[in-house]
Amino acid sequence: MAEPIWITGLGLVTPLGVGVAPTWQALLAGASGIRPIGRFDASGFAVRIGAEVPLGDATDAVAPRLRKFAGRQHGFATHAAAEALRDAGVAPTDTTAPRWGCALGCGQVTLDYDELVATAAAAAPQGELQPARLAAPCDPIAFARQQSIAPLALLATQFGLRGPLRAVHTACASGGQAIGSGLKMLRRGEVDFVLAGGTDAMLTPIGLAGFCLLGALSADNDDPARASRPFDRTRNGFVLGEGAGMMVLERADTARARGAPPYAELAGEGNALSSYRITDPHPDGRGPIQAMRRALADAGESPAAVDYINAHGTSTPMNDRSECAAIHALFGAAVDRLLVSSTKGQIGHLIAAAGAVEAAFCALALRDAVAPPNANLHHPDPACALPFVGAAPQRRALRVALSNSFGFGGANSSLVLRAAGAVA
Amino acid sequence: MTRIAITGAGVVCGLGRTVEEVWQALCGGRSALAPIRHWDATGWPRALAAEVAEADATALLADRRARKLMRRSHAFGVVAGLAAVEAAGWRAARDAAADAEVFNDRTALYVATGGGNYRDAYDFLPLLARSGGALPAFGSELLHAVPPMWLLQTLPNNALCHLGIQTGFSGPHACLVTHSSGGVLAIGEAVAALRAGEVDRAVAVAHEAPIEPQQLQGYATLGLLAEHAVRPFDARRDGCVLGEGGVALALEPLEAARGRGASMLGEVLGSGAAGEACGVFDVRPDGDGLVRAIGAALSDAGCAPRDVALIVAHGNGTRASDASEAAALRQVFGAACPPVTAFKWALGHLLAAAAPLETLLALQALHGGVAPGIATLERRDPACGDLPVSRDPRPLRGDTALILSRGFAGTDAALLVRTGTA
Repeated sequence: MAEPIWITGLGLVTPLGVGVAPTWQALLAGASGIRPIGRFDASGFAVRIGAEVPLGDATDAVAPRLRKFAGRQHGFATHAAAEALRDAGVAPTDTTAPRWGCALGCGQVTLDYDELVATAAAAAPQGELQPARLAAPCDPIAFARQQSIAPLALLATQFGLRGPLRAVHTACASGGQAIGSGLKMLRRGEVDFVLAGGTDAMLTPIGLAGFCLLGALSADNDDPARASRPFDRTRNGFVLGEGAGMMVLERADTARARGAPPYAELAGEGNALSSYRITDPHPDGRGPIQAMRRALADAGESPAAVDYINAHGTSTPMNDRSECAAIHALFGAAVDRLLVSSTKGQIGHLIAAAGAVEAAFCALALRDAVAPPNANLHHPDPACALPFVGAAPQRRALRVALSNSFGFGGANSSLVLRAAGAVA
Repeated sequence: MTRIAITGAGVVCGLGRTVEEVWQALCGGRSALAPIRHWDATGWPRALAAEVAEADATALLADRRARKLMRRSHAFGVVAGLAAVEAAGWRAARDAAADAEVFNDRTALYVATGGGNYRDAYDFLPLLARSGGALPAFGSELLHAVPPMWLLQTLPNNALCHLGIQTGFSGPHACLVTHSSGGVLAIGEAVAALRAGEVDRAVAVAHEAPIEPQQLQGYATLGLLAEHAVRPFDARRDGCVLGEGGVALALEPLEAARGRGASMLGEVLGSGAAGEACGVFDVRPDGDGLVRAIGAALSDAGCAPRDVALIVAHGNGTRASDASEAAALRQVFGAACPPVTAFKWALGHLLAAAAPLETLLALQALHGGVAPGIATLERRDPACGDLPVSRDPRPLRGDTALILSRGFAGTDAALLVRTGTA
């Protein structure tokens, strides 16, 4: 039997707080991280609410020599990574650095609004780019920041991670897939430690524009705290959030040898493509079904063993219906013993960070024997009949938790976490 | 351990649309590097690139409905991926399979790409010209000025999802945005999943379209671009040239390939990766990351340095990368270094797609028993020591090649392949 992989450190930056403890406390207390957008003037947009991280300058945790290369999503990742390493009580040294890997789900990096305004002013005054106007040198620091690999580069540099490094992107499934990728790196023996997680900061004019164009967001601007209501029959879209979740993963024998207690075992991962449409989830849950089934098989568990599901539950009409169909198809009669919640009701949708933050919630749920609430689920959709946690957290011994993350385009990821010390 | 065969390939790049076509051009000393044609680079001090001829790459897609949903880079990936699947005969195999759904569920897709792309944001430029930088106007006029599907057209994992939709394959997958080293990582993911028996076959795809003004401006500002030619390991080298395209490898267990009588291009022996943790663009002068990536690949493949008959260097022609790469090779192979060649003088740098393409060419070299020369090499840089590089073709003895790949963030990767599939 292969050595279990443990989660021994967590770091969170979420709309509910900076740090694991404030976030977890606020989540269980039913607080909402969703407010009118304050970081830029969103008054012209159809959607003017979001789940902002309560940090003005997110880059304060980045080492001074690297700070100029850091954007907001890099800053979140650094905060969360520093907390996770501190929490795990271990960090790379000169000798161990080559045995430290990193797997990071990071957001779609493109020009931010101010940079695009500058590009427009310099090279596209009539709205069409004139390349000749760009022939002069640019700001190399900005160019570094614009690389999609920059968050990974900064994490590796600041914390001295010199093993295999990988950045992954599968939209909303990125964070879950990165953690799954970290699990595989450890199982294959490529590394002794992995810093894994996801980070994103799409709550910008361009990010908000992208989701507004798709019509995917709730426009309940007058009632931000209630706007995200996964599985409710009145749900009308998701709320865009930002943040990061990072975790330290290691083999149980390594952790035991250094006396490090686990939050939980990262027991399995699975992913699958829906291969249906780029825009819509499959109505029968194809893709999510296979992802959950693979993750459970990978963990050596049957559906009947699952106690808690942290659903992808975005609060869009289609996702929630499709996810419920998938859960029913896979769990059958075992659905009744489940507890299901979507924490997006309180923190919104953190896109590339969502899967990582929600996997961390599962680890905390297992440790504390409590399932987080569905803060805004007052009128369950009859088409989404599942045993949902109510508006208050539910205390119950939990052995196995499943974390779902399903991305645009049909990339689906599921992770299985098991209470540490529990037998497969 | 399960041996992994390459049973299909797909290529779209500036030198051709098939591996053979690219190989013939390369051996003929032909390069895809030319002045940029797809946009007006007049006045640019560095205006070379290895472009794919089509101004609209989505026209290469047979599925007309898909054209509007993809950008240039995605189209390259989908075209290459479908070609590899076709070459491997997997659609026919699926249609003949007892259970097509099981076949689809056990077919994996691993895709690598550079990610973020400047061109995608330019769809907002007309709106910005109108709103003049005023956010309220930007927000209120948005829906009339930008295509509603913009976000889904520009997703970095678009090629992955469209390949799934077009093939029906629905197995495990990944989309690696790890700059240039992602191509080797994608092949490594495929090999690991096949060895573990998680899947029965896998497509590893890499695609890029970085030849755009702001990208070129950034590379040029960093001093990474060559003026006239890419000269790997040459004393006069002055940088690289960007290329574009898509490359895909169809991979399956060698026993399974043999069982169904599939033709095999070669065998993937193993791979390895390491990081240097020295910022976004820098490399360590001693090639430390590369040394450890090669070590990990040799160990993964169960090979020793003496088993390697050919090294295809990353050889991007920049001052720092080539010198540190030579240092790494000296440290691993010492005085017994096998012939080293590099292909970017002819292909340009296809970023994540570079190493997969160079892997297919390495197999051609091994099959033909000849290491192509570096046509632009005039005088080896003394700083690269006695690295066995040559302007002329050299005979090869052996069946195993090492392919090296280096990306931003100090990410290094190495891959070992072999021709003999007996």
